[in-house]
Amino acid sequence: MRDNDGQVEHIYREKTDRRILRKNPWKDVRLHGTVLVLVVIAELIGTITIPLSHDVKITIMPLIYTIILGLAFYLVKPIKWIHRKQARIAEGAMMLFIGVLIAKLAVSSGQSIALIFDMGPALILQELGHLATILVLPIALLLGFKKESIGMTNSIGREPNVAVVVDKYGFNSPESRGVFAIFIIGTVIGTIFISFLVTFSLSFLPLHPYAFAMASGVGSASMNAAAIGPTLAAFPGMETQIEAFAGFSNLLSFCVGIYIVIFVALPLTEKMYNWFEPKIGRDSIVKTKEDD
Amino acid sequence: MPDFIDGSENVSVHGIFNWILLLLIFSIITVIGNYLGYKHPIGDSFIGMCILSLITLVGVWLERELPFNISSILYISVMGIILAFPGMPTSQTVLYYVSHVELLSIVTVFLAYVGIGMGKSWDEFKALGWRAIVITILVIAATYYGAAIVAHIVLVATGVPAV
Repeated sequence: MRDNDGQVEHIYREKTDRRILRKNPWKDVRLHGTVLVLVVIAELIGTITIPLSHDVKITIMPLIYTIILGLAFYLVKPIKWIHRKQARIAEGAMMLFIGVLIAKLAVSSGQSIALIFDMGPALILQELGHLATILVLPIALLLGFKKESIGMTNSIGREPNVAVVVDKYGFNSPESRGVFAIFIIGTVIGTIFISFLVTFSLSFLPLHPYAFAMASGVGSASMNAAAIGPTLAAFPGMETQIEAFAGFSNLLSFCVGIYIVIFVALPLTEKMYNWFEPKIGRDSIVKTKEDD
Repeated sequence: MPDFIDGSENVSVHGIFNWILLLLIFSIITVIGNYLGYKHPIGDSFIGMCILSLITLVGVWLERELPFNISSILYISVMGIILAFPGMPTSQTVLYYVSHVELLSIVTVFLAYVGIGMGKSWDEFKALGWRAIVITILVIAATYYGAAIVAHIVLVATGVPAV
């Protein structure tokens, strides 16, 4: 083991590498077999849409089934073949699989470079508007979060943001627990919440129609879809433009958003944390538990 | 200078072999899900996954091989962007095959592993409770309003008429 004076990345790397590089993680038929079964079940059920009213509908996508079923398989007692060992391998393997996700996003970025230049400054600058999440950090501190708040408030906490935070701080860090919490809660309630939020804002905020369209691209396909519905209904006759801006803005949030998070949002959130924490930080509400 | 440490280390042949087999398993499961969910042809989407896996493999290998303390995410992103950049000789092929792999198919498989790996931290998740729900709602609202307000200001400033 090399001496790496507090380099978080390398500490986690040592740990996951031991599981992934020195053992034979691919041999765990129980784990990969279970994942295959979960994915088949999830894709066969498919996306379920439950309309609540004319504009508001809940969309539940296969990715929500696999994360919840995966967690359930670990927690539920009658399922005997998924233990801590499988969870550890899953965790280590996940660090590698993030790469595939990032590669897919990168290919999309490369492909749409010309479009990014064409669509003008508004589309790109509004991505910086996402930094507003950092304003929530003091509230998180007042509610008793510690380093979790860095993971929670650096971004909206969707898949690419989770990947970035986990890669930077390690799977078992408080920052990652924070971003996972936002991810899970956002997955469950985000879609319906944003439908209501958009409906409400359209009636009360006198903003440019295109601004509403661009803002709906928050970086989550299901939330994007939920936000477009009421926007289209509010501006009849502008369907094409609204769909184009909303779709492209979401694509931007996925590909460019990552770099804003890596280079701007995370460093800024850490600075805010270091400045605010001694002033308004409370006792941690999360009991720290040593892993292994 | 704590930021500039030698991040390189040797990865054994056995380790690289493990990476390749894991990525192969991941690709097979993703292709099955991608076929069931989106009816993309199995052959084309498997080649797409092989391209993405290869980019990943080179990325994680570079992270350990090169002496810079740079995350594999950046190596992978740069390679993906360059390979798909319009005008690059690789872009047509890469785009054709990778477009047959839906992002959501990858995410679905990825999240199954996340779900299982997360089980270990369940008790701490429970401790996050209602406070985390409050923060989630505020974070989503802040993202939406932040983007909407900046977009509005730029649109008005650049003189885009509010049709």
